[in-house]
Amino acid sequence: MMTQPAETPHFDAIVVGSGITGGWAAKQLTEAGLTVLMLDRGRKIEHGDDYDTELKAPWDMPFRGIGDTERYERDYPVQMLNRHFTEFTQDHFVNDRENPYQNAPDSTFTWFRSYQLGGRSLTWGRQCYRWSDYDFGANRRDGHGTDWPIRYADLAPWYAKAEDFVGVSGAAEGMAQLPDGHFLPAMELNVVEQSVRAKIAARWPERRLTIGRTANLTEARPEQGRTHCQYRNICARGCSFGAYFSTQSGTLPAAVKTGRLTVITDAQVEKVDYDPATKRVTGVRWVETGTGARKAATSRIVFLNAGAFNSVHLLLNSASEAMPNGLANGSGVLGTHIMDHANTLSAAALMPGFEDHTSFGNRPTGIVIPRFRNLDKLDGNGFTRGYSFQGGALQSGWTRGKREAGIGESFKHELRAPGAWRMVLVVFAESTPRPTNRLTLSRSKTDRFGIPQLEIAFAHGAEEHAALADAKAEAAAMLTAAGGQVLFGMDQPGPGGTAIHEMGGARMGLDPATSVLNKWSQAHQIANLFVTDGAQMSSSASQNPSLTYMALTMRACDYAVAQIKAGAI
Amino acid sequence: MSTWDRRSFLAGAGLLAAAFGLPSAAWALDGLPDAEAPTDRQRALLREVCQLVIPATDTLGAGDVGAGDFVILALAHGLGGTRAPVDADFAPFRRSDGSVRHLAWLEATLDRQAGGDFAKAPQRAQVLATLDAAAFPPGPPPVAHSPWVAIKGLILTGYYTSEVGGEKELVYAPVPGRWDPDLPLTPQTRAISNDWTAVDFG
Repeated sequence: MMTQPAETPHFDAIVVGSGITGGWAAKQLTEAGLTVLMLDRGRKIEHGDDYDTELKAPWDMPFRGIGDTERYERDYPVQMLNRHFTEFTQDHFVNDRENPYQNAPDSTFTWFRSYQLGGRSLTWGRQCYRWSDYDFGANRRDGHGTDWPIRYADLAPWYAKAEDFVGVSGAAEGMAQLPDGHFLPAMELNVVEQSVRAKIAARWPERRLTIGRTANLTEARPEQGRTHCQYRNICARGCSFGAYFSTQSGTLPAAVKTGRLTVITDAQVEKVDYDPATKRVTGVRWVETGTGARKAATSRIVFLNAGAFNSVHLLLNSASEAMPNGLANGSGVLGTHIMDHANTLSAAALMPGFEDHTSFGNRPTGIVIPRFRNLDKLDGNGFTRGYSFQGGALQSGWTRGKREAGIGESFKHELRAPGAWRMVLVVFAESTPRPTNRLTLSRSKTDRFGIPQLEIAFAHGAEEHAALADAKAEAAAMLTAAGGQVLFGMDQPGPGGTAIHEMGGARMGLDPATSVLNKWSQAHQIANLFVTDGAQMSSSASQNPSLTYMALTMRACDYAVAQIKAGAI
Repeated sequence: MSTWDRRSFLAGAGLLAAAFGLPSAAWALDGLPDAEAPTDRQRALLREVCQLVIPATDTLGAGDVGAGDFVILALAHGLGGTRAPVDADFAPFRRSDGSVRHLAWLEATLDRQAGGDFAKAPQRAQVLATLDAAAFPPGPPPVAHSPWVAIKGLILTGYYTSEVGGEKELVYAPVPGRWDPDLPLTPQTRAISNDWTAVDFG
């Protein structure tokens, strides 16, 4: 059981947020001997017991799993656009009406959020990729953004530690642009994907189709109480097997086990307190969302892990006389250079020739084709960064009948069998860091507690559009070479937020005049303040970022604990 | 749960379903606002249409399993994009928000094409097949969809997400437990109704 807050609310550390990075911060700091208060604005969700829809069949659901569109348009107009948002998972997403934000004029950002214990660790896509020096060196190479103060060698040991605990299944490929990790056995490619892999390799020896590296266990972790993946692919409902990594399945029980963790949910942090005399943060203040009551606690260090945009929101809203433009914002760049991968469906193709093959089980990952552009030579037409594809081959199910003519017995019989194989390639293109893509506090809109709403200004630029045009052509070329018949493809990105990889806003950098955080995810201006979620990112790479957030969080915790022991903070 | 035992897991799942049984679509229809509540004739008509789309074979048909009532519920709540405004000339069946009253449209259209009461027309299967074929012409999908496209989609959803459609007609494998990447597909192979990848992208 989680311990209740003590009468005197002082802790060694306060961790704001309980998602992927908040869970890691709580685990690392408590295991290092610190007392930790972890706050989350959402409700408590107990592992297993509170995964209410996990075992439900469609016929158990009032709207058969699709959900009540009328209600969604009223309460979840943004969240309902998420492919993983269904009647089964709706309670793992935020109510947009109760938690509003603003889009800047001429800007649309679909901000997908999960306010609950565990945050988006319950709903994430579970893809785990190391970044390489192509990524950490990107800003220096083309001059966009500010140079990362770290390189791959700084993170490699922390990637390994994160993977060892999380459990990442994947295949080693020896590719410099997508470094191999400590992998559990890979989930196998299906027969179509195996064929496409071989045909791509034959035509483009430098390109590789490999299985997605995913935080789903292919071997049980009895020491963590986690069972191997059951191949249901309904992870976002919550998994009582603990087969995918989440705060609930992994880091939270480890932190609780130390006896040094206090968790308070339904607590929306509104300010981090700062003492200009000591130049330190002293604690945080929050609103009890159920009662509206204001509460506070103090601590020796503060870790912000509220999710990239909410951590920035908190820093902006923590402005004081001493720091009028926002906490730790002496540089003036706080809120700027936010990013999200440019994301679209580059190609969908029919894959004939496999009509007598099928598969069994719902594999909870697809494939990835790692970046092949702008590696050792700049070969992008109008763009200097990278993109990679994710996707997979699948056989259509009964839903194909919605698009086909036919009624009666023969139609029913036809839908009884699996349908034709198709393959989709979805592109994730690197998002160039730009000062004009930024977060600010709304000047006129507040939330139900009177806290200024976050306003998001975001647009993809010419580089992202050029990358997506190239990706569409290359996706079609690869699927055609593999024997596919391309049905369609797109080269326009979805609105910002589509990739659900929003990051930046409190970037790391070498120079305190142009960045918020140093190489230890520590505020340049405030030695006992750390931001270790997506807000710290200086560039976006084209890989999914969560594993990098985890590694950076572990590394920052290790540094913070050493600094505390040395009496430096 | 730290260890995996299929038998106890499924037994637990069954108990949970029995204990927290949710209202059927038919029951939920009682709560519909008057403007969305079907007439008895419309409800009977939709049942018949469902049965014509997915008839009884060695398993029950879509009308038998109540897919019609699901369609009515779904239409009242805007599933399948059915509350989106349309430009086409469906004036007699348009709501004030510009969306089409699909059920009223279907009733009038089938009666008209049957030259009388559709439900009593001996050629009603042919009438429906003609309507269906016109809604799904060969080649790229038409820009302006027939309302039938959404209705048919909801009928299929109502059937294949029912216990009969999902578990008897197709295979429902809630806990596959394994991943077999390459199996032979034979004439006896039935699709997995809960292949979420195919449901999502299918």
